[in-house]
Amino acid sequence: MRLRSTSAAYLRHAGDLADNPGQQAAYDSRGHCVVLAGPGSGKTKTLILKLARMLAEDVRVPQGVACITYSQECTRELKRRLEPLGLGESPNLFVGTVHGFCLRHILMPYAHLANIGVPRQLAVATSRQADVAFKGVAERLLGLNQPYKWDDMGKYRRVHLDRFAPDWDTDPDLARISEGYEAALRRQGLIDYDDMVVCAHRLVSAHDWVLPAIAARWPILAVDEYQDLGVPLHRIVTRLAFEGGVRLFAVGDADQSVYGFAGSDGDLLLELAERQDIQRVRLELNYRCAGRIIEASEYALGETRGYRPYDEERLAVIRFVERPGGLADQAAHVIDTLIPEALAAKDGRKPGDIAILYRNAAVGNAFADALTAADIEFVRVDTGAPYRKVELTSWIEDCAAWCSGGWRRGRPQLDGLLTRWVRFRTGLSSEREANKAKGLVTAFLMRNRCDEGLAAPFVAAIRRDLIDPLAREEPSLHDQMEQVHRMSAAVKAGGKLEGLDLVGLGGRDGSPSHINLLTLHSSKGCEYDVVMMVGMDQGVIPWNNESAAELRESRRLFYVGLTRARDAVHLIYSGWIDGRYGPRYFGRSSFVEELETRLLAAGQDR
Amino acid sequence: MRICRIGIRNFTNFRNFEVRTGRNVVVVGENKVGKSNLLFALQLIFDPSLSERDRRLGLEHFWDGLGDDKLGETIEISVDLTDFDVDPRLVAHLGGYLIDPGPPMISRLTYRYQPMASLEGQPGSLADYEYLLFGGMYPDTPVGSTLRRMLPLDLLPALRDAEKDLANWRRSPLRPLIEDLAGTLSVADRDAILDAVDGAQAALSGRPEVEAVARTIGGRLEGMVGPAHATSVALGLAPSRLDALLRALRLLIDRGERGIAEASLGTTNLVFLALKSLELDRLIQDGERDYTFLAVEEPEAHLHPHVQRLVYRHFLETAEVDDEDVDEDPPGRAGDATAGRHVTILTTHSPHIASIAPLRSIVLLRRQADGSTEGVSTAEIPLDDAEVDDLQRYIDVTRGELFFSRGVILVEGDAERFLVPAFADALDIHLDELGISVCSVSGTNFAPYVKLLGPSGLRIPFVVLTDRDELPDGTVLGPGRVRGLLGILRPGRDYEAMDEAEVFRRGALRGIFVNSSTLEPALFATGMRRQMVRVLKADLPLRRANRELLDGWEARPSTLEPTRLIKLIERIGKGRFAQRIAPAATAERCPAYIREALERIRDEVA
Repeated sequence: MRLRSTSAAYLRHAGDLADNPGQQAAYDSRGHCVVLAGPGSGKTKTLILKLARMLAEDVRVPQGVACITYSQECTRELKRRLEPLGLGESPNLFVGTVHGFCLRHILMPYAHLANIGVPRQLAVATSRQADVAFKGVAERLLGLNQPYKWDDMGKYRRVHLDRFAPDWDTDPDLARISEGYEAALRRQGLIDYDDMVVCAHRLVSAHDWVLPAIAARWPILAVDEYQDLGVPLHRIVTRLAFEGGVRLFAVGDADQSVYGFAGSDGDLLLELAERQDIQRVRLELNYRCAGRIIEASEYALGETRGYRPYDEERLAVIRFVERPGGLADQAAHVIDTLIPEALAAKDGRKPGDIAILYRNAAVGNAFADALTAADIEFVRVDTGAPYRKVELTSWIEDCAAWCSGGWRRGRPQLDGLLTRWVRFRTGLSSEREANKAKGLVTAFLMRNRCDEGLAAPFVAAIRRDLIDPLAREEPSLHDQMEQVHRMSAAVKAGGKLEGLDLVGLGGRDGSPSHINLLTLHSSKGCEYDVVMMVGMDQGVIPWNNESAAELRESRRLFYVGLTRARDAVHLIYSGWIDGRYGPRYFGRSSFVEELETRLLAAGQDR
Repeated sequence: MRICRIGIRNFTNFRNFEVRTGRNVVVVGENKVGKSNLLFALQLIFDPSLSERDRRLGLEHFWDGLGDDKLGETIEISVDLTDFDVDPRLVAHLGGYLIDPGPPMISRLTYRYQPMASLEGQPGSLADYEYLLFGGMYPDTPVGSTLRRMLPLDLLPALRDAEKDLANWRRSPLRPLIEDLAGTLSVADRDAILDAVDGAQAALSGRPEVEAVARTIGGRLEGMVGPAHATSVALGLAPSRLDALLRALRLLIDRGERGIAEASLGTTNLVFLALKSLELDRLIQDGERDYTFLAVEEPEAHLHPHVQRLVYRHFLETAEVDDEDVDEDPPGRAGDATAGRHVTILTTHSPHIASIAPLRSIVLLRRQADGSTEGVSTAEIPLDDAEVDDLQRYIDVTRGELFFSRGVILVEGDAERFLVPAFADALDIHLDELGISVCSVSGTNFAPYVKLLGPSGLRIPFVVLTDRDELPDGTVLGPGRVRGLLGILRPGRDYEAMDEAEVFRRGALRGIFVNSSTLEPALFATGMRRQMVRVLKADLPLRRANRELLDGWEARPSTLEPTRLIKLIERIGKGRFAQRIAPAATAERCPAYIREALERIRDEVA
């Protein structure tokens, strides 16, 4: 008699995979498996059902499945989708970022036994602390006009892993700055996010005994968006999988690799998929995009992938729109014509089904201003966003979602919120204290249920009653508190999110009344009925003077934008961009040019 | 897996206690020395049935020697576990709590009862105390209840009521066996059983005599409350559902003639232990547990010595199986799923149990001068395999006493074993009262015993009585023997370079006493010779020449021919001869080396 400790809810959904051979093969895989998943191919659904199945059938507490995601936002999305399967917060399921995994499950348990120079009490440097340390070291070494940015060093550290290999000195300046910077952080007992992965890699690669320990606890490792994860994680994963006996389930799409500037590399996924000891599964059916959009996206990519639409009958719109008056003109056209047309084109379509995508924050700002002036509500996600998503801000948002009506449906589940709250504390070991903490949070949430409230007083209250007292006791949360401060500032009078209601704070997906405004990078993993790609001008996409590799990445970014759309894509451009000394006429984006030419040629062939 | 170290600070009998342990743990020691408290200490870490309240200790749990200064002190109990590397599930449980990556890996679990960390100033009462249960070296790594649930400690207390436990369905170890039984019956079988029971029931309750009784009761009911309120009654066998029927099954003994309630305490306990052993198998097979720490307090209670040995040899031996052998299923062991999956922890007064305990498992508790209890163990005494085997073979029931002794007199053979107590009595040194055992090593191989008892072993005071042994060719064996023992007791000196007298002088300082030849000639030199000659004459058919020889020796002891004397004694048997002459022992007749040894051991245990 085998006792079932995990939910079997996944079995009800597993039947859905049967008519998709790729999904079924991934679901049935027993060993290492790489799923190459094209856009709209149901990758997340496949991943969560497979996670649920492995949890129920292949592991048993205390052994578990770790699922590594690229960002906090992806983590939250996966957890949100796992919750209805009864797997919101399972003790033997880890869903989190690379950094979270490296910190909690590699460095904290083992680093102090390996003498790799990582302090035992790990406090994460705030971005200000990191910046001060970086500037101090760089300017001391190279003078006040030193040319490097923090990101340059970050990428260098992520790409050149082995400090004893000759290639560490490829750029001696960056190598010295990195070393000095790390030493400066250590002196303050700090670690940054890159350190977590780099040190975890160092630990895993140099100490064989760590492998069986990790493999015993996490016999299965799933990785979402593998193409975005970069060299250090790739090395950690391959070491664990092929030398440590961990079973790997990786999902990704090299065509959607758009973080090369940060050190990631889509080729790593392909390299993995080429291995003989891995089962390779391709998901070719696209449930999202209409056929013509798939066709167009492959032209844009310049490669034939053979993706097929799930619904052959669906019609698509692809329009090329020139607005010679620059960004303001583009915005006016979008607001006055395209949005109303899009809303009218289909019954029941809401602003939330429409996305405006752009490459850089400058374009985003122009559209944000125009939308605000036109009194159209929108949600903006990019680095220009008022605050970054970290675990604490996500938790506050989910609490907002619960209080603003989520409690009626159990979405999100209260228990999950409580478990996450308790985990913010390190070293809370007595059940009594944990229960007390949970009681406080429950009382707060019950008190603050409110269907039509504003975000500002809610954020103020949750900080006063819960977050701020916690942060005073937990130095490890200081870096996240930066984002909480920014959240408060944003929702206050005069902030960028002034007037945001609780529902709006509760989740970007939960707000059908808001137009989505986001960068191409942030749009990954999302889908919309209508996509308006704006600012599609040469000099922005691609930038001028891009190297061959950068050009390929820009092209993939363009591809990602196109493949977000279900029904319609509008490509909007002016033919010129703003330069430092006035307008510069480079024409529309060469990707747009190429795409239109190929579509026309294909149309003539028919 | 095994426990390799137990550390206790400031808890009940233990001020600063540390002991290293072998695979099983057999705790021996006098009453009130803290055997049960040691088990309670382990319960605080491993017992899942202990409640939150149980883990919050009282003032009576602080070390007694703290007197009025208990508040403010911290109680700490830590257990190191090792040899779990071979089992990934155990690594998954314990890998996060490593203190030494090995090989072999060592993990530590700690219970700590301390003034609350958040408290400022001195604690006013135990309300200001908290307990932590953590793994590894740092208290910020809490140990959750999963570990206690899957690696639990099962305690069978000394005064357990096996009969009651068997009678209580919820607690009965019989219950899971019967529940499994229900699952194995087919529908047809179940129906057949129910039909048969219904038939029997009908036959019984349908009998007129039975019906008459029912009518009597019904009549009285009606008489009391009238027909409106009286319920109709019938007599029958109650349960007609199969599950309830099976539940009604009772253990019967003596070919089904008597219920367990009528069995002797011993039988009940034996049955209980057998069921417990089956339950352990089942829990492991079902995956409810990965390991069991089976603690049995005073297993000798209610069991015949002979049965004690058999039963506990079963528990101890199944646990001694190497982890590597777990997966193989040697024919003789079929069904012993717990082999290598449990460790037995016994506390005992019984030499019977101690005598079957694996040599490496003994943990000896004893009171120190300050009233606290210290622990010594056999786990890490530097004995080679041959010596372990040697000791294991020799430690029978009588020699099992050795572990309970306050002092030990090691002698060569049976002759000394009978004579030494006789001389002791004559000298007014009462060995039993003083807790001194005389232990024969059956030869001259004292080394394993000296290692076992000596400074790097159990640290039990001992003396050695041995012969100088001069061979006919003039070789003297005694000095070499003493040199060897001195090398164990006080290594680092060049004993080879010392002459016989010097070696014997140093030997005596360390408790090694040597006679001038062998025991019997030494005795002959004392007033014992009269009795010796009398016994030889009485017990042996001697020729006249021999009788005269004896008379001559008696008259002039200096003419004694030791070899011939011993030949004569060997015809009776040295042991038997010694028994025969023992009544003649007096203080004056005690050979000097025996007297010195007795006085020394008397003073040492005082």
